[in-house]
Amino acid sequence: MKKRSLQRGLNVFWWLTLVFLYLPLAVVVFFSFNAANSAARFTGFSLRWYERLLGNEQIISAFWNSMVLAIVSAVLALVIGCLIGYGMYRHRHRKLGWLIVLIYLPIVLPDIVFGISEMAFFVSMHRYTGLLQPGLMTMIISHVTFQIPFVALIVYSRLVGLDPTLFEAAKDLYATPFKRAWHFLLPTIKPALISAFFLSFTLSIDDFVISFFTSGPESATLPIYIWGAIKKGVTPEINAIAALMIGAVAIAALMSLLFNRQGQR
Amino acid sequence: MSHATTVAKTTDQGETESRSDSAPQSDAGERREPSSIELKGLHKRFGKDTVALDDVDLTIEAGEFFTLLGPSGCGKTTLLRMLAGLEEPDAGHVRIGGQDVTDIPPHKRSVNTVFQSYALFPHLSVRDNLAFGLRMRGESKKEQRRKVEEVAEFIQLGSLVDRPVDQLSGGQRQRIALARALICEPNVLLLDEPLSALDAGLRGQLQVELQRIQKRLGMTFVFVTHDQDEAMVMSDRIAVLDGGIIQQVGSPIEVYEHPRNAFVARFMGHDNLYAVRASGEDWVDTELGRLRLDPAEQREEQDGWLLIRPETLELNAENPESYNQLQGKVMERLYRGSRVEYRLEVDGVTMMATASNVGQRLLNVGDQVTVSVCPDDLVRVAS
Amino acid sequence: MVESSRTASRGRGVVGESQHLLFSVAPGAIWIVVFLVLPSLYLMAVAFMTNGPYGLPQMPLTLDSFEQLAGFGFLGWSPGNFYTLLRSLWQTLLATVLVVMVAYPIAYYITTCRMKWRAIMLLLVVVPSWTNQVIRTFGWMNLLAPGTPLSDLAQWLGVIPPNMGLYPSNFAVTLGLVYNFLPFMVLPLYAAFEKLDTAQVQAAQDLYASPMRTFWHAVFPQTLPGLLAGTVLVAIPAFGMYVIPELLGGGKGMMLGNLVANQFAGGSNWPLGAAGAILMLIATFIGLFAMRRIGKRLGGGEEVVI
Repeated sequence: MKKRSLQRGLNVFWWLTLVFLYLPLAVVVFFSFNAANSAARFTGFSLRWYERLLGNEQIISAFWNSMVLAIVSAVLALVIGCLIGYGMYRHRHRKLGWLIVLIYLPIVLPDIVFGISEMAFFVSMHRYTGLLQPGLMTMIISHVTFQIPFVALIVYSRLVGLDPTLFEAAKDLYATPFKRAWHFLLPTIKPALISAFFLSFTLSIDDFVISFFTSGPESATLPIYIWGAIKKGVTPEINAIAALMIGAVAIAALMSLLFNRQGQR
Repeated sequence: MSHATTVAKTTDQGETESRSDSAPQSDAGERREPSSIELKGLHKRFGKDTVALDDVDLTIEAGEFFTLLGPSGCGKTTLLRMLAGLEEPDAGHVRIGGQDVTDIPPHKRSVNTVFQSYALFPHLSVRDNLAFGLRMRGESKKEQRRKVEEVAEFIQLGSLVDRPVDQLSGGQRQRIALARALICEPNVLLLDEPLSALDAGLRGQLQVELQRIQKRLGMTFVFVTHDQDEAMVMSDRIAVLDGGIIQQVGSPIEVYEHPRNAFVARFMGHDNLYAVRASGEDWVDTELGRLRLDPAEQREEQDGWLLIRPETLELNAENPESYNQLQGKVMERLYRGSRVEYRLEVDGVTMMATASNVGQRLLNVGDQVTVSVCPDDLVRVAS
Repeated sequence: MVESSRTASRGRGVVGESQHLLFSVAPGAIWIVVFLVLPSLYLMAVAFMTNGPYGLPQMPLTLDSFEQLAGFGFLGWSPGNFYTLLRSLWQTLLATVLVVMVAYPIAYYITTCRMKWRAIMLLLVVVPSWTNQVIRTFGWMNLLAPGTPLSDLAQWLGVIPPNMGLYPSNFAVTLGLVYNFLPFMVLPLYAAFEKLDTAQVQAAQDLYASPMRTFWHAVFPQTLPGLLAGTVLVAIPAFGMYVIPELLGGGKGMMLGNLVANQFAGGSNWPLGAAGAILMLIATFIGLFAMRRIGKRLGGGEEVVI
């Protein structure tokens, strides 16, 4: 009796929490269709803000910057992180404390400290050597830096979960070192590589602080553009672009759900 | 099963007939000869203090079913891994088929292993698992397909070939692992406790099957186990290892009936070991008193232990004067169906006796009993 | 002869392994050293330099920036920075406690649901955090702005003066922090609840009978490792938060992250920002260290992430 009322209470609490979690996003999507230039009163349905988006070159270029940044950094981090993950696994019986510290450093460092360190470094570097002018390049470098640990840890934990005799079986069955990597190791860790890539991609799209401090004048990404627009004064255009990004996340969530379902089957 | 039995019989008789059966190498054209193995002065230590192998010399004949037997940590697996090339010796040589392979990496050795965990590749289908070795050796797709069909028939995999690896039972995985190694037609097949994860019934069945397969192919099998029954059932010869040292090499009968030392005797399941206090040519003194034995049966000269196998003891039997006679009392009875085990106390000393459960009256706890044992059956064992 | 050549080749094997370690680990290790360790060290050095024009650091070395951080300026001591630090600590503490209060029942509730629903429920909790932080915060700005139903309600209740919004305010920052970090607490707590040894709970029900005592003696201790892991995941990034106080807090809601960032974003004073970053790092590592100690004392230290 008591237990059931507790359960009912929890159920109500669960729905309230969901409202709490989705209300801010729903408001953004809702007002993106507002005819009036207001975030308080809904005057009528309209797609004019979406039309305005298509004509806004800054937004288009910010979109491409975001994409290039996310894809290039995720690919680079995948290669480098995968190598580290494999190295950690292969030499897990050695003392690799220094490597663990190095790998956790980007994770534990507060975003803001991460961002300003990079900024100070790149700006000074550019001033003294002319290299690494803040822009897409420096953003890619910074993003790869915070993505590497996640890739390495995902690959490592996948390898640790494998039966170690599989490696020996591959050797035993006449596979040369190169063939072992190509026909055994890579196919075996493929699921880990895929999820590491998508995690890196998401981390990159999600990031604002580090991008903000390492970007140059020409390399604003969507979050940086939105940030600037908010600071200058909110326009419903931001609602529209933000709604599109929320839609992308929703699609990604649905896909991951379907992917999981298939994995279970 | 019946099919396999008939083939096994014919194979024993002649080569020509074995070519007509579906053994993988039968129509492969280049039939590989089974290889002998020679180990010289193999030494291996892990870390500073752990000696895994201590100067091991061993010869395994071509076409032999050879078993490395010992408790865990005795070095048997290390030895097997050195044959496979997965472990490098600190010193010594490994020769397979007369060729020194000590420095040859595993993927260049014509040796295949059936791993304890089976080690089937999870990302591949059963068919691709089977063909993996052939593919790595660069054999043609056609050849791969033909050999997979052959081995599937030979090991009687049936429809297993088309199933995903993660849907196989332990026994099925074991057969696939075996087939995956056999398909490569190695000179030597290594088996690392392949049956230890299976339940007793399946295990017994596969013991028989493995032995048949080996006889049929005439391949050199090196088998590792910690189970002395398994070793005795399957092997042509057994090497008993302990502490990185080979304690005894011999046929199952030799190792069981004439263990060279107390370790081998205990490991083969013998409990009735008595310290020898004094001895003559045909007698020994132990805590049981003076017992007569047959000098012709003794392989160990020095004093050490006297072994009395439980099944050689006769209880309350009419035996000639020449037999050793002892008086004892039944302390415990373990009824095992086909046989009965008694724990006896003879002159305050514990002794195990095994009696067949045919035409004998069961003794009860507390019964006085006359124990007699033929002098031929007493064996002296080194320390 | 043969023996010596073989030992030589074995020596090569060991070298090969070390080379392998080098080739696999070196690219990433060098990357992190060059692009994160060196910049961090440089930032620390900047804290000890003199503030030049445009906020760029210059020689000579000095402790000026730390004095400024402590509040000493041309006009004597001002408590602004000190308040900012206190506010950061308070907001972190408050947000963490609130997050625990929401996440604990939610994580428990998810474990009581049927298996096939759990993955979906967890996904529902996590998905909002996949959207960009700026957008999420922007959503709250829309919700809390003057003239919105929530603000009107607050005015009617007399919580805020008329014609004002719920943002910018410290309250809005707390709300934003709770919203932002809720999933980070739910996930480890859910993992802890899922591993919960129900036999212990049943035994406790037999022994203590009262649900409260059962909870404190059998359930709560088992979820502590998850709670601790969640606290690390919430409190440390919350303390260094920049976006939320910047957008929702206004001038009086500033946290340490804003103090630091503004020295760089506005280009006004790098050494001061760097000194603030050092303060933030020290606080972060003290926090991490304390959590590890507590975790070890509880015996669940291994399970705590980081």
